[in-house]
Amino acid sequence: MSLALEINKKQLNEDSWEEPYFINMGPQHPSTHGVLRLLLQLEGETIVGCDPIIGQLHRGVEKLAENLNYNQAIVLSDRLDYIASAANNIAFALAFEKLMGLKVPRRARLIRTIVCEMARICNHLLWLATHALDIGAMTVFLYCFRDREWLLNIFEKICGARLTHTYVRVGGVRLDFTQEIIDDLYKFTEEFPNRIPDYETLIDINRIWLKRTKNIAVVSAEEAINLGLTGPCLRGSGVPYDVRKFRPYDAYDEVEFIVPTGKNGDTYDRYRVRMEEMRQSNYIIKQCLDKLPETEGEPILAEGAPDLLMPKRLKEPKPMPVPKKGVVFRGADKPIVPVGEAFAAIESPKGELSVYVVSDGSSNPWRLRIRTPSFVHISAIPELTKGHMIADLVAIIGTLDIVLGDSDR
Amino acid sequence: MSLIRKVFLTEILQGLALTLKKMLFAKPVTIEYYDKVRPKPYSGFRGRHALVRDPETGDTLCVACLRCAKVCPSQCIHIEYEVDKEKGKRKVTKYEIDALRCVFCGYCEEVCPVNAIVLTEYYEYIGFTRRDLYFDKERLLKNWDEFIAKESRPYLNPFWKPRGIPEKRLPVKKRQFTGV
Repeated sequence: MSLALEINKKQLNEDSWEEPYFINMGPQHPSTHGVLRLLLQLEGETIVGCDPIIGQLHRGVEKLAENLNYNQAIVLSDRLDYIASAANNIAFALAFEKLMGLKVPRRARLIRTIVCEMARICNHLLWLATHALDIGAMTVFLYCFRDREWLLNIFEKICGARLTHTYVRVGGVRLDFTQEIIDDLYKFTEEFPNRIPDYETLIDINRIWLKRTKNIAVVSAEEAINLGLTGPCLRGSGVPYDVRKFRPYDAYDEVEFIVPTGKNGDTYDRYRVRMEEMRQSNYIIKQCLDKLPETEGEPILAEGAPDLLMPKRLKEPKPMPVPKKGVVFRGADKPIVPVGEAFAAIESPKGELSVYVVSDGSSNPWRLRIRTPSFVHISAIPELTKGHMIADLVAIIGTLDIVLGDSDR
Repeated sequence: MSLIRKVFLTEILQGLALTLKKMLFAKPVTIEYYDKVRPKPYSGFRGRHALVRDPETGDTLCVACLRCAKVCPSQCIHIEYEVDKEKGKRKVTKYEIDALRCVFCGYCEEVCPVNAIVLTEYYEYIGFTRRDLYFDKERLLKNWDEFIAKESRPYLNPFWKPRGIPEKRLPVKKRQFTGV
């Protein structure tokens, strides 16, 4: 508040009109994609400095998870990046499985891959819709939401929820696919590649779109790596880094796909990368669906996976030999969570999402640390906006694809 | 961009042609909610809570094992019970769900050993005060009656007996369960 008053006072003084002045963008601005507040330093209409102020959506997910057991912590992950919550579920589950040493059955891995790619398409469709709407193309918004609705309906059939899925659980998934869902997905994968040209017809060579996106927020490959950008933002600069290729998780080592990259590293290239990624995601879903019948009848939960309800505190069994300190027992003398730490990273639609978990042997994680892509991408905004007009700021926020629930956690 | 394309705005005309095509020939994807179309969610949608009414006794099936209250990530279930000393059975005296706290994860219906609680596929509910969305036992049973009146019996929620989970992991009552 005091800062705002100071700025106001300064701006009333006529002598200081030549100096750069400050302006607040957000946190209620519709184009900041949530509650992002940007303190801009302007010279005329050119941005000289930019200071992102985050934390308006902080819910303390990492701390909350310390008071919940491993399966309950997955419920929190839905609320990080609420546009592609299935991907977050998988990141959490992978870290916990690594900690517990569980071997997920192949059917569950294939299903997870399908769900993750569906989440990616959902995310990119919503990104394209809002990004285009920010820049001024209204029609794309309507078409994207039409197709996203289709996917959300399939999600509803799969797990009974449209946004906060809680579909993945430690050691597998919660419900198996039915034949109806597989048929629906086949229909989707056949139809969806015909829908992408629709969006491209509208904006791909549109002169307004080109003027608003070409040569805006150019990041060279080296700069992108230094800024810590991941996901489509990094690949737009020409670095073919993809966690799915480099450290395959779930069933990504079984499927083949191309990692699309851009050349110039501007907003337009990142748009092209995301459009191409949607096609690749569609192709991955198709391959996984083809492999699903091979695993018919397999269980979808790993052997020895913990139940949803884990005993909160260790009941020390008296007659049995003294167990190692802090080992959870389920029924008999089987330890579920060993003491230790685990790290898992996935390629979430927005970038690299990684989870680091430390366990003291009880049913709750002792410490959970989440590295979210949006947080790192927001930190790159000051670097990218330097020297651009204030109207381009909207395009830059859009192209980084940030969600504030993801960054503030 | 060649001169012709520049002068005649071809790419913009292409876009307009697509919009016109969709306007004239495509079916509308929007629906007139509430007045004309009220979409029915798919089986397993996690909507309003209900306690299953036992057709024999007319009371809830709940055995007060407190598993749902323990597994709830948002801790929105409050249960009180008394023990019948002759039979040695527990009886629920108070079963309350704070729907405003609930995150609709469906863990409670999955861990319930007797399939007493369910997240029904009913989603059109509102409350003018906080009290309206604080379901006590009577209200939860009423929710079930309202829901099951429009459903075909026997009704089986997918989360009661999750597809693909090995049978040995389920409690005995769930294994034999075929619906209410």
